[in-house]
Amino acid sequence: MLAEPADDQQGDREREIGSCARIADMQSFRLESPRMLAVDISGDTIRAATGSMVAYTGQVQFKHAGMGGGDGLLAGLKRRATGESLSMMACSGTGTVWFAKDAMDVIIIELAGDTLKAESEQLLALSDKLTTDVAFAGLRGMSSGQGLFTTSVTGYGTVALLSAGGPPIALEVTPQYPLVVDKDAYIASRGQLNQTVVTDVSWRNLIGESSGEAFSLRFDGHGVVYIQPEER
Amino acid sequence: MGFSAVNSKVIAAPVEPGREVLARRGAMLAYTGAVTFSPVHLGSGGIGGFAGRMVSGEQVPMMVAQGQGTVYYGYRGLYVTIIELDGSGPLSVEADRLLAHDAALQSTVVFLGQQGGIRGAVRGAVSGQGLFTTQLHGYGSAAVVSHGGTIAVPVGPAGPVSVDPQAYVAHVGHVDVDISASVSWRDAVGRGSGEAIQLKCTGTGTVYVQASEQKI
Repeated sequence: MLAEPADDQQGDREREIGSCARIADMQSFRLESPRMLAVDISGDTIRAATGSMVAYTGQVQFKHAGMGGGDGLLAGLKRRATGESLSMMACSGTGTVWFAKDAMDVIIIELAGDTLKAESEQLLALSDKLTTDVAFAGLRGMSSGQGLFTTSVTGYGTVALLSAGGPPIALEVTPQYPLVVDKDAYIASRGQLNQTVVTDVSWRNLIGESSGEAFSLRFDGHGVVYIQPEER
Repeated sequence: MGFSAVNSKVIAAPVEPGREVLARRGAMLAYTGAVTFSPVHLGSGGIGGFAGRMVSGEQVPMMVAQGQGTVYYGYRGLYVTIIELDGSGPLSVEADRLLAHDAALQSTVVFLGQQGGIRGAVRGAVSGQGLFTTQLHGYGSAAVVSHGGTIAVPVGPAGPVSVDPQAYVAHVGHVDVDISASVSWRDAVGRGSGEAIQLKCTGTGTVYVQASEQKI
């Protein structure tokens, strides 16, 4: 049900998060430390969040990936229309690049043709063959303030996500066990999931006696939901 | 025996007669044994070093731990990296990133303009590090604080290592740090990659890079 990754004191100890995500040792993505992603580039192009490079060796060029994070004009227009912004840069050449952002923990997820839905600001890097798009996320955006739309990542490759406040947690969802998570702790989800908003607004909120958890996200179906220890 | 890590944010430093430890004032968390603390007014660089510090602003109040025992140091919950110096090359670090070091290490303040001329001065100004940096020479341990921990990237003849100026923490050895700008028209129209200015490290040694772009 719950698989918690290694504590950050253990240095770069390998961490396993469920059975769905693991360190991509045959891919070029690896964790140099729990908060630092290292990517070996050899002639291919990867995309990473703008400004997230902390160091590199070799011959690597950094270029703005274009409107919409480098997925063409249509995706760019959709992003502009929906406000689900994604600022990515394309890194190409030969060498090793290290990425990190605000000391947040990094999680590496491999995709084999399926789709990952993620908050755009939690995306750190994407490998070559993945495409991003804007997906309708239900009426969740009303509450979380992150827009009605979310970013979907599809294809074969590796995604690196950020987790604020510590290592992320992967929670499994099955039809018997639907999952409710705090909207501010939600990072990403994958699988056949149906997402709805749970509200807990009652007369208590009006008199200031709320539980502080007025809006939550409920997931039904089959899949995995990633959450972070810190609330945005 | 040098400093040892208690966890990723706290270090233990053994203190004995003849082996004092200098640390940032206020960084002591706990100690065991008979240890006394006293402020250090003159840096180990003597009058010259002191004057240099006054002028440069590269001054952080330090205290010295003397006696017999173990002292635990930490600072604001920041990650601590222990760097062992074997005398082969100096450690260059910002004074406000230096948590503690063996008193046996010689500390000097270096004007960046001396290293790389006007480009060195520009580097200090652009990277927000100021025009001066602290160097430690000799044999011993030093502890450096960072946001999110550091990685050590070796610098060698294979080619330069480029580092984001905000993520740069320190370097050990004979490393030349030069500023390199690849500003293009894209940056001017707000379509830059956000990586226009980088520090180019060449020579032999190690560069320490933190997992964040925040200053201390």
